[in-house]
Amino acid sequence: MERRDFFKKAMVTAGSVALGSSTLEASETTHPVDDRAISPIAFPEKRPMIMYSDRPPLLESPREVFTSALTPNDLFFVRWHMPMIPKYISTNGFRVKVDGHVDKTLSLSIEDLKTKFKQVELTSVLQCGGNSRSAFHPTTSGIQWGAGAMGCAKWKGVRLKDILEHAGLKSDATWLGFNGKDKAVYSETANFIREMKLEDLNDNALLAYEMNGEDLPYLNGFPLRLIIPGTYSDSWIKMISNITVSKEKNKLLFMEKAYRIPDNECECETPDKLVEKTKPIEKINVNSIIGYPQKGSKVRVNSHIVVRGVAFDAGSGIKSVQMSVDNGETWKEAILDKEDAGDFAFRAFRCTFNPSKVGKLTIMCKASSNAGEVQPLAKEIKWNHGGYRYNGVDEVTIEVIG
Amino acid sequence: MRYLLVFLLWFSFPLFGQIEGKIQVPYIEFPMKEGKGEYSTKGKCNMCHSFGYIINQGKQSKVFWRKKIMKMIETFSAPITDEDIEEVVNYLYENYGEG
Repeated sequence: MERRDFFKKAMVTAGSVALGSSTLEASETTHPVDDRAISPIAFPEKRPMIMYSDRPPLLESPREVFTSALTPNDLFFVRWHMPMIPKYISTNGFRVKVDGHVDKTLSLSIEDLKTKFKQVELTSVLQCGGNSRSAFHPTTSGIQWGAGAMGCAKWKGVRLKDILEHAGLKSDATWLGFNGKDKAVYSETANFIREMKLEDLNDNALLAYEMNGEDLPYLNGFPLRLIIPGTYSDSWIKMISNITVSKEKNKLLFMEKAYRIPDNECECETPDKLVEKTKPIEKINVNSIIGYPQKGSKVRVNSHIVVRGVAFDAGSGIKSVQMSVDNGETWKEAILDKEDAGDFAFRAFRCTFNPSKVGKLTIMCKASSNAGEVQPLAKEIKWNHGGYRYNGVDEVTIEVIG
Repeated sequence: MRYLLVFLLWFSFPLFGQIEGKIQVPYIEFPMKEGKGEYSTKGKCNMCHSFGYIINQGKQSKVFWRKKIMKMIETFSAPITDEDIEEVVNYLYENYGEG
């Protein structure tokens, strides 16, 4: 061992000893990590993004995309669970199968979807349940996302309901199972299959083949993915190839274990006392993010700053966004863009101010929904083992120079 | 002749959407810290997923890494033998531990 390595090791050991005595109790939730570098290597159909893994591909959108209500396809976040993703899909050969408790089994091509069913367009947020997970302490299980595991796109496709109607549901049909073409390395192990209760299905759930006017990017699920507006993206199966209707709920790893939060009033727990009874994360909560300025942005004193960002919730719509530049002492109403993309979409906002003092300045933004939900402060958010559903008031600290 | 040409062109450009040919996700080398167990960890874990998928879970406790490894073995059939478990747990904790 080289001397330098020895000291490095010694320091690591010393550090672990110092922290070793800390209790397992959850400490205050902070803000998600906000300074991760953009990877120099671009992935297929993407610009360079924040990159966590190539196998499976995991990419995060940089903060500046959240100045506009639609997220560009080539900066849209990517999250796969299974490392084996087909390298090639022929649009002509691709089929999505509908089977199980139906009158007739279907095998539909993309062309069938485009020509035989009503075409529907819908703008909706797609957000990972673990978005901003790095805000939780102690570190929870899962990829330590910053705030960019989300985006908003205009989706085009057909209603899942119309497809099921075409297949004809048997009277005892209760559950819908969704599977995509990505696979685990060992064929006998669990695949990423998700289920949904038939009674939860509404007109908004789509099988989408188009995203922001283009074919779905490969990494976002080409050629077809499920869209369930208002819910976290865990069930928005990519490269969807099978829809199975069943009578009973199946025992599935990614339903029983993953994407669940404590089923108690605070939806919280502590690391040394995990709550046994859990429930799916499901509906997204009210949230907002500042797209500009960004951490460390430099602005002149007395200049005109336009803060821009986006706000969203599970579909009640955004009522207001407020901004504070004095640590929450006073709040100013932001101007919301005109609402024309529907209540599942990002609502862009802007708010102006003139920094009057040289030095560091923190901008805070807080959204309220039509359903009456208001974003909590980061420190008010309680811990859960998966680091799910973070929606703390966003903060960006900039530098005002003379 | 013209029809034949159109016919041939039609078939030589199948509808691939915006993707032509195979997609190649770039291979990213995630540097691993040197230490005992580095090679067995690399060999056993990287068969199925990148090292980035591990280290981007953040710095974690020994209990956490052990649980993850057991999940990989039990749920995803990771080829980690009983003798290797300790080495992989120790490597991850020593180099990517919460300390």
